[in-house]
Amino acid sequence: MTKINLSVKVNAKDYNLDAVRYAAYAVSDAAYVFIKPAVGCVVVEFTPKTAAAKNVSARFKEELKDEKLRASIFDANRDLREFMILKALAYEEVPAGVRQEDSGLTPEQEKELDDLIAQVEGEIKKESAGNKTKDPLGITRTWEEKYGSKNGRKKK
Amino acid sequence: MGDKMKTSLPEKKLILDNGIYCPEAVKLAAFVFSGRAAVKIKPGKGVSQVLIGARSADLTAAEFMNEVLNQQCRIDLAKKNSKIAGIIVTKALLSAAGKKG
Amino acid sequence: MAQKTAAKKSKKMTSVLPQALWRKIGSNYLLTNDSGHHAWLKEKDFALVTAGGMTELHPLFAELAVKGFIRNRLDFNDLAAKWKKKNAYLNYGPGLHILVMTLRCNHKCLYCQSSAAGVGDKKTDMNLATARKSVDFAFNSPNPGITIEFQGGEPLLNWEVLKGAVEYARKRSGTAGKELKLALVSNFSLMTEEKADFLLKNEVSLCTSLDGPKNLHDKNRICSSGNSHSDTVKWIKYFQKRCKKQVPEYRVFKPSALLTVSKYSLPRHKEIIDEYVRLGLEDIFVRPLAPIGYARKLWGTIGYDAADFAKFYLKSLDYMLKLNRRGVVIREKMATMMLDKIVNLQDPGYLDARCPCGAAIGQIAYNHNGDLYTCDEGRMVGWEGDDIFRIGNVFKDSYKKVMTDPVTKVCVVSSNLEAQPACARCAYKPYCGVCPVYNYEVQGSLWGNIPSNDRCGLFKGILDTLFTLLKSPGNAEILNKWVTK
Repeated sequence: MTKINLSVKVNAKDYNLDAVRYAAYAVSDAAYVFIKPAVGCVVVEFTPKTAAAKNVSARFKEELKDEKLRASIFDANRDLREFMILKALAYEEVPAGVRQEDSGLTPEQEKELDDLIAQVEGEIKKESAGNKTKDPLGITRTWEEKYGSKNGRKKK
Repeated sequence: MGDKMKTSLPEKKLILDNGIYCPEAVKLAAFVFSGRAAVKIKPGKGVSQVLIGARSADLTAAEFMNEVLNQQCRIDLAKKNSKIAGIIVTKALLSAAGKKG
Repeated sequence: MAQKTAAKKSKKMTSVLPQALWRKIGSNYLLTNDSGHHAWLKEKDFALVTAGGMTELHPLFAELAVKGFIRNRLDFNDLAAKWKKKNAYLNYGPGLHILVMTLRCNHKCLYCQSSAAGVGDKKTDMNLATARKSVDFAFNSPNPGITIEFQGGEPLLNWEVLKGAVEYARKRSGTAGKELKLALVSNFSLMTEEKADFLLKNEVSLCTSLDGPKNLHDKNRICSSGNSHSDTVKWIKYFQKRCKKQVPEYRVFKPSALLTVSKYSLPRHKEIIDEYVRLGLEDIFVRPLAPIGYARKLWGTIGYDAADFAKFYLKSLDYMLKLNRRGVVIREKMATMMLDKIVNLQDPGYLDARCPCGAAIGQIAYNHNGDLYTCDEGRMVGWEGDDIFRIGNVFKDSYKKVMTDPVTKVCVVSSNLEAQPACARCAYKPYCGVCPVYNYEVQGSLWGNIPSNDRCGLFKGILDTLFTLLKSPGNAEILNKWVTK
């Protein structure tokens, strides 16, 4: 940890908070990061881990631009991507020459896809009922939260 | 926060804005750090006050902040991506358990 | 038809690039997508394609369209089929079943990943009842093909039980309707002709450890006789000879060897590769050491960082390519597995680099006492005193219970790249994977903190090297041959 302190002001009109946080996270290999609010902007403070990491502010600005682009592409494609992955999970090889419906799925595949979605939703509902949470699979929770921290399961 | 922790370790106090770091992210980071430092969280008005007790309190506090950011980014991602993430996990677990997924 | 559907949908969207990930390497951009396709773009073309300015007249348009990087040309059937093929493992249960026959070992390797016990410590031997029960348990997996791998310690120290387990597994496979592969990982120091005959007749494939030339191997792999290298080499030659003289009754597989890269290996890539070539081994797995279990304690002495490994890896691959150009057959195993994903868009069965990782749902480690672990690394953490990765016991728990154990679930969830902020955005996501055991051991949580995770740096280094080498047609020709089936 160096004694260097760098800070970058990010205008809230140019970048949303998610993008700022992710860009800061992306450079957290090289620096310790602290984000704080200010009027109309957020201030991102960096303490480089080593003196060699002084270019962290420049890296952060690059990441910020990249993340803005990535987020817009992600948002625009979310539905298509979900569709493609669900289709892939239900996909079966179709022999050449077999006519397909307009959706690109055979009736059997459509049914299988519906069954899969129903099954996934069923599993999620079942988990939700037990956990009373909007995060049934524990996507946002750590192992530590659920089962205690490291050192938690020592041999008896 | 004011009140000291019941340890003889050097301490560092952090004040985290809830708009930047949600209390859940702070709590998750505290769990991760529970094996290596004494961490005390006290909710304040629009902020989380965190007291870190460790041999190298400054360094541990800096590492703790990076972990809070890690947890916060996970939460941000889950808001956008939890459906696909859930589908993949469910499919993998159902298949392994021998259920047709 | 599928294209029409995509075009119809795309009218509602504002963005022009379909879901894609990228990484800037030098002055170029590597673009990848969920189906595993990749394309290289110059900076101006990257700007063009992300801004929606690329027209059909552009020389890259056709290539990008076929690979799923042009939004109104998406062929969902094709992309979905490729995604499914690349992620085929999502349809099966655990295929790899590691039976730890004993924790005893007659070696004291510097890195000792399996955290072995002393030779006299017979209480860590698996008994026949446990071995049989473990085999039964493995056959519960819905996977149509299972591999039972006998490991240790040194498994030949518990020969009678190993023999019994092989016989029992072969008998079980006759009625189970599954394809069964058997494998033995041994240092060969206790091998005899009689044992070798039995193993070959039962079609057990044989794998050993070879860390390079004698002085390096014996420095890493210390044994009381001081002759670890000589024993290993003697038996590699023996099994190669048997493989060449195939018999009609059974198949004899080529023996294989594993390299563990310690700090002492780093300056000696040429000598290590030359040793493999000298012994007629055609594959070398340039395997990084992981600070897990016993190796974690010794990391300061034998470990290295991701940047050092990346340099070693690049030098090793460069040298192997040079040898290939001279007509020598030598392939790097990690590269081969990654190239299978990159070039053939298929799953090579590499459990360490997939999403979710293979912990419990791709492999199970069976300890000598019947305890079950998510993987062998998880078992090593258990041996060091922390049973966090234990998922059951063959005598007490049903297969279904193990697969729905909270530890199984949490390993699957935490190794899901779609839930890891850095991985979800990484161009290497279609080819990579995280390891909850590594994260737990090194960073204190199963999720880890990926930007500062050295394993991530390691994989990025390997993939940077491979993609960069693939850009050169000469290298690509050789590398493609490595994965031509």
